[in-house]
Amino acid sequence: MAKEMKNFAEKNGKKLVISLANSYIYLILLVFWVISCAASPFFRTVSTFSNILISTVPIALISLGQTTAVLSGGFDLSVGAIASMATCIASVTMQYGVFPSIIVVLIIALLIGFINGVGIAVLNIDSFIMTLGMMFILDGINLLVRPVPGGYVPEGLKGFLLLKIGDFPLIAFLILVLAGIFGYIILQKRRFGRAIYAVGGNPRSAWLAGINPVSTRIKVYMMSAFCAALAGIFIMARISSGNANAGDPYLFDSFITVFMGGTLVTGGVGGYGGTLVASLIIASLGSILQFLGVSIWYQFIIKGFLLASIAGLQLYFIRKRSEKGK
Amino acid sequence: MNSKVKITIEVIQPLIIIFSLFLLMIIATIITPGFLTIQHLMTLLYCNTMLGILSIGQTLIILSGGIDMSLGAIYWICVMAGAQLTPHANYILVLIACLGLGAVIGMLNGMGISLLKIPPVVMTLGTMIMLTGVLFVVYGGGGKGKAAQELIQFSTSRIGIIPTITLIWIILILLFHFILNKTTFGWQLRALGSSEIASIRSGIRANAVKIKAYVTAGVLAAISGLFYLGWARTPYPTFQSGAGVGAELALNSIAAVIIGGTLFTGGKGGVLNTFLGVLVLSLISSILSMIGLGHEWQMIASGMIILLIVGLYSKVRRESS
Repeated sequence: MAKEMKNFAEKNGKKLVISLANSYIYLILLVFWVISCAASPFFRTVSTFSNILISTVPIALISLGQTTAVLSGGFDLSVGAIASMATCIASVTMQYGVFPSIIVVLIIALLIGFINGVGIAVLNIDSFIMTLGMMFILDGINLLVRPVPGGYVPEGLKGFLLLKIGDFPLIAFLILVLAGIFGYIILQKRRFGRAIYAVGGNPRSAWLAGINPVSTRIKVYMMSAFCAALAGIFIMARISSGNANAGDPYLFDSFITVFMGGTLVTGGVGGYGGTLVASLIIASLGSILQFLGVSIWYQFIIKGFLLASIAGLQLYFIRKRSEKGK
Repeated sequence: MNSKVKITIEVIQPLIIIFSLFLLMIIATIITPGFLTIQHLMTLLYCNTMLGILSIGQTLIILSGGIDMSLGAIYWICVMAGAQLTPHANYILVLIACLGLGAVIGMLNGMGISLLKIPPVVMTLGTMIMLTGVLFVVYGGGGKGKAAQELIQFSTSRIGIIPTITLIWIILILLFHFILNKTTFGWQLRALGSSEIASIRSGIRANAVKIKAYVTAGVLAAISGLFYLGWARTPYPTFQSGAGVGAELALNSIAAVIIGGTLFTGGKGGVLNTFLGVLVLSLISSILSMIGLGHEWQMIASGMIILLIVGLYSKVRRESS
């Protein structure tokens, strides 16, 4: 009985944190934008916001995959390396045609995701150690494929992905909207999404309820790798070259946005909506710091602090709630 | 049946490592005759002393059921702090300041992980990025400053044929082997890694033990950073992996611990295993560079070996349970 009570309290505690996070994240974005506009005259221009939208795209795409991985109760540390790999391989293969090149990159990414998933779900390797090992293998391969940044990126692809009508980045905006819709439908409306929540909440009861945790997890890591590769192609178009390290910083961004967006570190609770808004915040943070003349390395300090403190805050609130419920 | 399986794994594991060590040495000797001279082996040990001392700390943390991605960053920040402070202060003060820095960062990690219950990967990744930022903001990433003359002499001196810092590495291994097996702290650490709930129920103060482990690891990382500083004289941090400063060093220490046979879920293993793991890793990297494969291949090899061994162990563990 006591245990049931505790579970109930824990569940409600988690729900409260989520609803708070979900409504507060918009407020944070708004306050952040207002303060930024007040602080810097360069920030309150249309072109700044259009640049923010463009730099949100890779963060949002990688975070879509990371959200599913964290929801399923794991971590994916290889997303940054997969995005870098996409820039390297695409910049080498683009000369043979844009579409074949993108398809090759996506197939390789799905394969990597499949290997991650098999290691984690079938061989029972902890997700962080599996994806950590994969991250370093990929980093090594990336340096072999592209020891120095460079390569060929077709102007057509760059022009299309970064297309601006007036000052409005149409394609970037469309990608964000599509990612949002896709994330919402996959996670909330499809059987696969509900299975992810079930596996992340409690793998054993998910199994008893007739969900196959093995295939769900494999699909999660395939999806995560796929999203990271898409982000990598966008990054390549932005920096118009392949770079073995281009995607690496996005690993931390993806963790920060996922936790900031209200997805629990422990898995099973959260969603993509919060992550998407948090991606906008992180992208804006980058540009306001730039306008204020703050060195790029301060961003690392701020992001590291955010990562640890947000995860800590979340868990603190859950514990506090569940203690009150006793 | 169950106990039989357990005994087989525990007996065979070190044998496999020692066998693979011999195999690697034979391969190395075939590629480069003269590999197996005492001088060369000493040089090999000397070059891996920094990784070895760092890995002792990583062993403690993995035994307690955690993981530390920030050890490499702590190492580099101590290298840079040591180099920058040297012209302004007595070298003893510099040493104390660096060790204190390592201890403080380790304590922050430990407190986040034990008191706030942040997953170790998330907490130490956060610390790693923060330290990357601090390193560049404060030091600009360049090779400014230099090591104290005393530190250089100490790090490059030899006692008989053995380099002094390698001797210290060996002494630290024996010390921590003793601590892990004969003291309460060692037993508590293993108990925590085997089952956190059971050890808390039996009266172990889990938070204190965890914080101690992370502080010790931070101090060990600082020691190895200082030795590196004395060896290199002027620091040039390498940022091969864009993931953050020292990410590669942290991965190599995790690889050494896992190759040595310490369970990555905690509880079983020890610093002697890690010593063998460091040797295997160093032999593999020197063989790779002897046949002309560069640094990228060493990263690929470390990653693959980690996955292979962890995969095998998980399979064996599942079959035995």
